[in-house]
Amino acid sequence: MLPLSLLKTAQSHPMLVELKNGETYNGHLVSCDSWMNINLRDVICTSKDGDRFWRMPECYIRGSTIKYLRIPDEVIDMVKEDAQAKSRNRAEMNKNRGGNAGQNQNQRGGRNGNRNNFGMRQGNQGQGQGNRPLAQGNKPRK
Amino acid sequence: MDDLNPLAGTAHLLEEVDKKLMVLLRDGRTLIGYLRSVDQFANLVLQRTIERIHVGNEYGDIPRGVFIIRGENVVLLGEIDREKEQKLPLKEISVDEILDAQRREQEQRQEKHRLVSKALKERGLAVNADIINEDFC
Amino acid sequence: MAEKKTGGFNEGKRRKESILDMSKYMDKQIRVKFAGGREATGILKGYDALLNLVLDNTVEYLRDSDDPSKLSEELTRNLGLVVCRGTALVLICPHDGVEAIPNPFITQ
Repeated sequence: MLPLSLLKTAQSHPMLVELKNGETYNGHLVSCDSWMNINLRDVICTSKDGDRFWRMPECYIRGSTIKYLRIPDEVIDMVKEDAQAKSRNRAEMNKNRGGNAGQNQNQRGGRNGNRNNFGMRQGNQGQGQGNRPLAQGNKPRK
Repeated sequence: MDDLNPLAGTAHLLEEVDKKLMVLLRDGRTLIGYLRSVDQFANLVLQRTIERIHVGNEYGDIPRGVFIIRGENVVLLGEIDREKEQKLPLKEISVDEILDAQRREQEQRQEKHRLVSKALKERGLAVNADIINEDFC
Repeated sequence: MAEKKTGGFNEGKRRKESILDMSKYMDKQIRVKFAGGREATGILKGYDALLNLVLDNTVEYLRDSDDPSKLSEELTRNLGLVVCRGTALVLICPHDGVEAIPNPFITQ
């Protein structure tokens, strides 16, 4: 489960994005790419000092300007389930192939099984999941 | 071998996966959480994260959940020693109290900065506000 | 060699499709933020795959003189027709629908 796969899974979910300049953007993730560029919808922008706010229907943010993204807790579980299904599939395939099926190729197994899979997972898992609102704590600081 | 490994350079970070880590960001914030994933840019996924605010010898923890952190914003990252964590020479206080303390500390710093700028200005030295604002956009 | 493509339609076949479709903003007023903190608004007249933009009737928002950390909505300067360097862009959003609002997060 690479960070960018998790981000992809978080599509359609609410999230908080903080930029390097300290501004934060609360909105639903519409799309993202391998540079971490993102499209958000129904956005609330908060100034660096957290005392001014703007509403914007949508916005595009350049990935290189992002400091971090905060996503709902449940999204990480969605990836785990998906990774488990994947490693189960792989175990099946190994069994069918026989031979070294007994050897533990996926030494970390389970949830981590997918970590060394460098190809980005293309599945659009996570899409069409409910858009539960998330109380993304605002910035009480500064 | 290393040339073929797309994670070369971050391989040692893989060793830290699923451990409880402290991450210090470039903006000075401290995050503590369980490292779940790392990529070739040292982007991180932290789960069950708290933001720890220190003021003097007091600290407060704010639950923050799941983070995807862009690697370039990380200053340092280290495992939390469970034993040492038990005997911190620091006192935990409530979130409200620590935020209050932080705000006071910030105001003091701003006041000091205001005085310094004024003094420098009187001596004919211009201070670039942007540099002092610690902006690194 | 003159670049014939305007507006940045199909940039060859092999190019990865951008997640941002700038064509929907053509001849519309958009707001852009730049690395370094400048902000401007203008009417989109053209763009390319690197997100270089051509904006017309561009207005830049200037910094408040007594608080340089804030941009002022009133204090502006007209820049006219400009090219925005794609590499310097931080954020792009439509100008319509952007409004300052009171704190929408419940504190306490």
